[in-house]
Formats: sequence, structure tokens, C-alpha cells
Amino acid sequence: MIGAMGFAGFIMIFYAALMEGLLHTTEQNATVMESGQFQVHAPEYRDDPDLYTMITQEVEVLNRLQANGYQAAPRLFGVGLAAAHASSVGIMLRGIDPDRERLVTEIHRHLLAGKWLNGDDPEGVVVGRRLAKALGLVVGDELVVVSQAGDGSMANELYRVRGVLKSINESIDRSGVFFLDEVFRKLMVLPDGVHEIAIRSPDDTYSLADHTQQIQNLVPDLEVKNWRELQPVVARVIDMSRYSLLLMLVITYSAVGILTLNGMLMGVFERIHEFGVVKALGVPPWQIFSLIAIESFLQVVFASIIALAAGIPLSLYFETHPLDLTGLASSSASIAGIALDPLWYCRVSVKAVVDPIVVLMVVAMLSIIYPATKAALLKPLAAIHHR
Amino acid sequence: MENLIQLRNVTKIYQQGKVQVHAVQDLTLGLALGEFSALCGPSGSGKTTVLNLIGALDEPSQGTILLEGNDLALLNRTQLSRLRRDRIGFVFQAYNLVPVLTAYENAEFVLALQGVPAKERYDRTMTILDEVGLAGLANRRPDELSGGQQQRVAIARAICPEPAVVLADEPTANVDTTTADGLLGLMEKLNDEKRITFLFSTHDQRVMDRAHRLIRLTDGQLTGDEVRR
Repeated sequence: MIGAMGFAGFIMIFYAALMEGLLHTTEQNATVMESGQFQVHAPEYRDDPDLYTMITQEVEVLNRLQANGYQAAPRLFGVGLAAAHASSVGIMLRGIDPDRERLVTEIHRHLLAGKWLNGDDPEGVVVGRRLAKALGLVVGDELVVVSQAGDGSMANELYRVRGVLKSINESIDRSGVFFLDEVFRKLMVLPDGVHEIAIRSPDDTYSLADHTQQIQNLVPDLEVKNWRELQPVVARVIDMSRYSLLLMLVITYSAVGILTLNGMLMGVFERIHEFGVVKALGVPPWQIFSLIAIESFLQVVFASIIALAAGIPLSLYFETHPLDLTGLASSSASIAGIALDPLWYCRVSVKAVVDPIVVLMVVAMLSIIYPATKAALLKPLAAIHHR
Repeated sequence: MENLIQLRNVTKIYQQGKVQVHAVQDLTLGLALGEFSALCGPSGSGKTTVLNLIGALDEPSQGTILLEGNDLALLNRTQLSRLRRDRIGFVFQAYNLVPVLTAYENAEFVLALQGVPAKERYDRTMTILDEVGLAGLANRRPDELSGGQQQRVAIARAICPEPAVVLADEPTANVDTTTADGLLGLMEKLNDEKRITFLFSTHDQRVMDRAHRLIRLTDGQLTGDEVRR
């Protein structure tokens, strides 16, 4: 029974660490790939993303955020048309400052081909994976971009594809074209202002609500949203995954509970005669109950030691040596539009280790209530004659 | 003399399938402190049932049992456990020693339950083991002892806590003649020296010959009560 409980605990620690790793990576992808942990917009922008609805004192806002420890990256957006070879598609133009952007997101590391934006190559643009496929683009190809500039004139220019991104999200994959911010401003005739400021908090153990409020206090006239508000579907998927982990714990430990119950009942039935004798000698019911409870507790402790001794090292190993699912999942695999990393890491958190052990203990101790009560309430005479 | 044990109109009925078996019928009996008495009668006469009722291992269908003035029917499970622990010693026909414990540990068991300090527990247990002739076998487990030796351990376990009464169910049934004589002599000595009350159930003539009082049962009814000393 100790072995079975220990094995179940070990499996659940490893599984919990795998799920923590998956959820952490998904959460990271949801924030560090594109959105950032927080975003600031002009109050009306998110409802009506108009080219002219901008944060106008962006330098002051950026300085204020930086002074409070936040990394912030300004962004510009526009819509237009891109053409290459004989095809054209609608696109989302994205003007960014690569130096600031790399402090907030890690999109620069997520290239399928080519290189990320660089100030030395102002005509170079980076495009989404599906957009590149739709237009038949490879690194080095020319790309014509047409849009309506901020002054009402026709904006059109020829660029060269510098890089193609891996899967980030649906929007970027299908229509994203990244420009240097000064190139975007020149094309769209927008000398000042930004549409969005993406923000990263200084510490990973942030409380979203607290930071959101703190940023809001820094920029009271602007709208501040955290990533859960920006990507509610992703947040819900992550929450549901946590519930599924809990459900898995319950299912697995229900089996463990039945096993423990059965084992303890066998243990009680095998010793009914002995329980009868000691009860006849004066051992009170509560002491019989305590005896079985302590015995079970010690078994669970040993099982937990086995589970921890096997589960933690294995999970730690996979924390640095991920499961490589490249052969099973394509580079475009995603959850709710968020790219999945084909390298699956474990994440050994206190929660991933403690939860399975606590649940194991609770289930095992609940399982012994019936057999322990049964033993405690045995009639000594009947028990002595039980064979 | 005030009765240590008093049975008043005690009846015990067992249900065996659809048949009701009257193991004890309307039994009224008193036992005084320091008695060395035997319940005798043929098999099925109710001897063991009476011991079980007095020892609070079973409940009467009717009637009242008083031990030191306490009505057993009014005690809860914990109080009954305490009564068995502190006031009653059992010697079972099949010894019923705990197989994983040594002779010493078996004899000491009830003292440990009572919370007697370790030093006092050791002294008392070793003294009793010495009295029953087992001082040299204290570290042996039951399966390393003969039937007679196991019954001596059971007697030691029963008398170690200095109970008011020792109830012995056919204590000589599973031992040879020599051992039986030795055991009876031992219990007689303990009765004489420590004034421990003994009540046996038996149909062994040797036990009946040495008992100071002979209580006869037939079909669960009192059919004789002879005081010899």
C-alpha cells in the first residue's frame, strides 16, 4: 500500500510540475511574446482603434513608468495593404522601438527565418508566418506596402523582408508587419504620439491587480489593462487547465483512496481477533481508532517520502531538459491564439510539490475513517471469536 | 460480607438463526472479595457466558450485573474499557496473548495502558513473572513458549494490574496434568497471598476439587452452590 500511494504521489508531482511548466510557458507566451504584462492606451483607443487616437505625451509617460521600475515599449499601429509577387493581402502595420521592445517582450527571439529589426537596416521589415506564406515571401523578398497616411495622403513604400516570425498569435501570424518606429512614422506621417505602451513589471512575483493599480496611478488619464483583461480567453484557458490539474488529482487520488480504504479494511479484518483481545484487556475505542490513524499516517509519510524522492529529481531534470515534442506538434500549435512551445519544460514550484502530497495525505486519512471506526466499535467478545 | 459481584435475575438469550438459545436463565448470584470459586457444569451450561457477562464482554438480555456496586448497563464503551482495564483480569482458554509481543510485554500490556511509570511497570511485571516462574523467559514470544508457559503469561497479564477479580475460562483445558496442577497452585497462592478474587469456568474435576466454592450450572440455570471453606 505504501508503494502504491508513493507511486501515485510521484506521478502526481511529476504531472503537476509538467502542467505548471505548460501553464507557465503559455502565460509567458501570452505576455512576453506580444502583449506584455500590461498595456496603456488612450481611453477610447481599444473600443475604436483609430489612427489618430494616440497617447500624445509618450515621452513623459515612458519616463514616469521607467522611473518606477517598469520596462515600457511604445507601439504604433496602422492598417494597409501589402503586395508581393502577384498577391496582396490586408495587413496590420506595427511600428516598434526594437531596443525598448526587447525589454518588454521576447518576440525578437521567435523568428522562423532571417533576423529581427535593426536600426542599421531601416527598410527591413519582419512579417508574420502565415502572411509570408500567403504572399510567398522569403527573407530578402521585396514587399510593397500601401496605406492611408495620417495627413490623408497615400502612403506607399517598398520594403525588404528581413525576417519571418514563428507563430505568435492569429493576428500577427496572418497580418503582422513590423517596422522600425521611425520608418513607420515616416510612412504614415505621424511625427508624434503612440497608440500603445506595453509594460513589463520589474519582478516576476507580481500581483497583477496591485501593479495594474500602481500603473493606473502613474497614468491616471490613460486606460491601463493587464494581460488577463487583454486576453480573457487565454486567462480562462489557463484557469481551466489549473482546474483540470485539480480534477486529475481528484481522479487519481480517488483511486488511491479506494486502494487505501481496501488496504486498511484488510488490515483491520486480519487483526479483528487481536483488536478483540486488546479491547477485552481495556483498550478504549478511541485508542484503537488512534492506533489505526497513526499507523496510516506513518504509511502516508513513508509514501510521501518515496513520492518526493522520486518526483522532485525527475521534475528538476525535466526543468532543464525539456520534453521535445517538435516531431508531434508543428511550430504553429497554439492555444486560444497563443503559440505553444514544442519544448515542454517542467516547473518545480512549491505548489506543484506540496499540492499532490497534501491531497494524498487528506485522501488517505479520509479513507481510514471507516475501517478505523469499524475497528474501534468492534464488540470484544465477537472480535475475539473471529477467525 | 459485601458482594464484589452481584448478578440479579440475569438472562442471556442468543439468536441462532430462527432459534433462540437461552444461555443463562434468571441467574442470581453473588461473589465476595477474595473468593476462589469455580463455575462448573457440562458443555453448553452457560459457564463461559456468565464469565463474559461479569467481565463486561457481553451484555445480558435481562437482569442486572453489579461490579463493586456499579451497574454495568449504565456504563458507556469507554467506561467499560476502563473497568476491564483496572478492575478485571482475564485468563482465556486459548491464552490470547499478543503474538508479536514478548512474555514481558504481554504481561506489562495493561500496566502500560494504565499509564504506570516505566520503572514501576518493570519492577511489578518482573516480580509477577518471577512469581509465575517465567523470569528467565521474559524475552520470549508466545510461539517460543509451551502451552503451560503461555497460560502463565496470561495469568501474569491478568494479575499485574492488581484487579478486583480474575475471570479464568477453562484455564487448564489446554495443558497437561502436571502443568494444570502447577497453574492451580499458582492461582491458589495468589489468592491466598494477594487476596485476588478468582472465578473459573471449568469441567475439570481437579479444578473443582481445589475450588473453595463450587457453583453448578445446568442449561443456564443455577443448580447448586456449595461453599467448601
